[in-house]
Amino acid sequence: MLKSWKLKEVVLMSLFSVVFGIVYLLFLHVGNIWAGFIGPVAYEWIFGIWFIVSIICMYIIRKPGAAVISETIAAAIEVLLGNAVGPRLILAGIIQGLGAEAAFAATRYRRFDIWVLMLAGVGASVFSFIYGYFLGGFTVFSTGYVLLMLGIRIASGAVIAGIGGKAVVDGLLATGSLRGYPITRAKKGEARA
Amino acid sequence: MKSALHNMNPAAKFIVVTICMLTMAFFFNPWTPLLMWIGVLLIQLLFSRIDWKVWILFMIPFVIMAFGYFWTTLVFAEDKSGPVVLSIWSINITEVQMNHALSLSFRVLAFSGLSLLFALTTNPVSFILSLMQQMKLSPKIAYSILVGYQFLPVLKDEFVQIQQAHRLRGAIQEKNAIHRLLHMRKILLPMLAGAVRKAERAAFAMEARGFTGEKRTSFYKVIRVGRLDGYLVGLFMLLLIISCTSVLYIN
Amino acid sequence: MIRFDNVSFRYPDEEEWIFEDLSFSVESGERVVITGPSGSGKTTLLYLCNRLYPENCDGIVKGSVTLFTKESQSYSPGEVNHRIATVFQDPDAQFCMMTVEEELAFTLENLNVEREEMDGRIQDVLDLTGLTKFRHSIIQQLSGGQKQRIAVVCALIMEPKILLLDEPISHLDPYTAKQFISWLDELQQERSLTILAIEHRLDLWGGFFDREIQLEQINDVNPMSKRISSKQEGQSLEVANVGTESFLNDVSFSLNRGEVAILAGPNGSGKSTLLKALCKLIPAHGTVRPKHLGYVPQSPEFLFVTKTVRDEIAFGGGTDADELLSRLHLAAVADAHPFAVSHGQKRRVAIASMLCDGREIILMDEPTSGQDAASMVELFGLIDERAREGTTFLIVTHDMEFAFHVADSVLLMKGGSLTGKFDAAQVWRDEKLLAEHHLLQPKGWMEHEVCFA
Repeated sequence: MLKSWKLKEVVLMSLFSVVFGIVYLLFLHVGNIWAGFIGPVAYEWIFGIWFIVSIICMYIIRKPGAAVISETIAAAIEVLLGNAVGPRLILAGIIQGLGAEAAFAATRYRRFDIWVLMLAGVGASVFSFIYGYFLGGFTVFSTGYVLLMLGIRIASGAVIAGIGGKAVVDGLLATGSLRGYPITRAKKGEARA
Repeated sequence: MKSALHNMNPAAKFIVVTICMLTMAFFFNPWTPLLMWIGVLLIQLLFSRIDWKVWILFMIPFVIMAFGYFWTTLVFAEDKSGPVVLSIWSINITEVQMNHALSLSFRVLAFSGLSLLFALTTNPVSFILSLMQQMKLSPKIAYSILVGYQFLPVLKDEFVQIQQAHRLRGAIQEKNAIHRLLHMRKILLPMLAGAVRKAERAAFAMEARGFTGEKRTSFYKVIRVGRLDGYLVGLFMLLLIISCTSVLYIN
Repeated sequence: MIRFDNVSFRYPDEEEWIFEDLSFSVESGERVVITGPSGSGKTTLLYLCNRLYPENCDGIVKGSVTLFTKESQSYSPGEVNHRIATVFQDPDAQFCMMTVEEELAFTLENLNVEREEMDGRIQDVLDLTGLTKFRHSIIQQLSGGQKQRIAVVCALIMEPKILLLDEPISHLDPYTAKQFISWLDELQQERSLTILAIEHRLDLWGGFFDREIQLEQINDVNPMSKRISSKQEGQSLEVANVGTESFLNDVSFSLNRGEVAILAGPNGSGKSTLLKALCKLIPAHGTVRPKHLGYVPQSPEFLFVTKTVRDEIAFGGGTDADELLSRLHLAAVADAHPFAVSHGQKRRVAIASMLCDGREIILMDEPTSGQDAASMVELFGLIDERAREGTTFLIVTHDMEFAFHVADSVLLMKGGSLTGKFDAAQVWRDEKLLAEHHLLQPKGWMEHEVCFA
């Protein structure tokens, strides 16, 4: 699968992961320590931001595997940056990436409109929730509470990762810096058609 | 002996830590995760020379989180059977509830103990090299990750500069989380545009030096698997067995 | 060694050819430089020589490129790269490992060198280049000049026949660049390398190259002439005892309306820190009058927060955005995305938005680094025009040629302290003072002197 990937595309995924890694590190962690008191539900609304890299990379590169590889790289980078959640992030990254990938695979990598991007965000949310359910022992929580968490996470995945990811890439596309990537070619094709 | 964990093969450490975590997920009694946490602490005390101040600093948020899990499990419990052990105001807390709550909180502690053990005793570059040498991670991905890691200080500096520039223009409102999240997009734009440029340059520089992404025949820095790794893996497995079987002999 | 026969190239999604029917050859042991303005396809040409193109951009090539004895497309990926090595222009973006040793080992691993041989080869190449002391250094902590030398070492360790240079000195200050060039000169003679370089400014290279290939006649943009001072009566900027806790010692000076001042000194002397302290971007003590200064970072796009050039200029709430658009020749791109316009235009947008905010004093951080001749002339014109209308400039630059043409006064810095504010003419005369601050006497001044002697 990796044979068809250009090195610059893989390095791009890695650098994007570092950029988001810095965002998490310098921006989101500050002041969020106390949210822990509220319990597991506190972090749900922000979950989408963990999936955004996979959606951004797939939307730009448009090759099978872009979502799962980028999310895995992002998780590995997080571990390198010294994230204290550590090694289980890598497994989480693979699983989330698969969730996003599933949405794109279901459309055979042909559609990249807002609905598919949001669906990818939902896919990542659902997959990651299953993993979290198992690892976090959510079975002991009442069904209502679990559904509340799942609902917030899905909304966050669809809005922050799906809509937010599209907004970020569209902004980037307007700057003209994505020349030479499949998204630019695809947009040109659309414009001609 | 104090450097054993630091010298352990990173991939082996990664696997053993992951196995311990996944196994913890099957247990809902308080003792298993508690013993695991204590065991991990002991292993670190004996076989590492980490800075315990740093360790405590990292542990604080997890302790808070563990408390969050504790009360959530009590209030939103699914299974409220068993004898009542505690009454606060008019809320009755049963033995099952209490056990679940303690178990999940200790699980948070055990997870963070394992994670910190890994994070504080592993060299990031060796970890990636080890994934490539022992776990067949493709060099294309491995070296891309290392390039990204190497760019961290440059990009961090850019982030600060952009923030400063935006502050000068009066574009940063530090009111609330939503505002900051929305403004993030504006900081991201120049950073990502720069990242696209840098990625291409770095990739070209690698290719110009003969990097093709193929499997390599020799490594300058060989990450080995040795007897030490065997002993340490054994030790972790012993700890895992002791904590998993705790229910049989405690009570 | 390298031969182009009627080569044409274009990108897949563009109609226009970057260059057409290009033929030339480079013989063994030669030092050849390719020149041309930005956009003439210099870089593309270089990338065809090391086989980065056409694969990486799916470009379309006509004609034949011969490397050594074979057609370039008949090599397998990576096969030819150890014989044709490349040094790129950006010192920050051509490494992938943390330390010099790891980076060199990475290169050797790519060539499938036996592990036992590696250590010896690393030691040899570092000895040859006199850089043994950097073996365990962390690359990103080295200076620009040191990084470019390490990049050359990474190329040499492959024992190449040909060395390609992609504007290798464009990010270095002139003093460092000169040292780099003479170092390279010795290496070339020792190794009898063939060198093919692309470059937009040859003045620092002296007689290094045997032969020049011009891709496109460089339109002789009117060379800059010395600016007539527009310094007016009346102080516009007053700085008293500005400093930071850790690094910057107390700095005091003042500038007049319409004055153009250059701030110069060695890398790491605190120039950028001073600019940031003046703008209150970093915590600093002391007083600055007026309070609000305009600031243009080296990458002007760091300032941008909106989606069109017009919005960008009006962002601060100023009302004369439209007037500024036309005064700074930006009307044609008013609706373009500020990130998508040319570098020169980005700088104009940045200055316009500062002026629109009522910031009449403009501090510019390294606006000259990595710019070609045309863009320098553009920058010169921009500053001259603004200064005539009363704007005060304080500009950090290493480029003494540019400084000579534009400056009324020069502020010199060293080790976190201001040596002083000098009249420009006085500084150009004082070779000792310049050398103490790692600066070279501008050629413009020497010619000027000859004319009037």
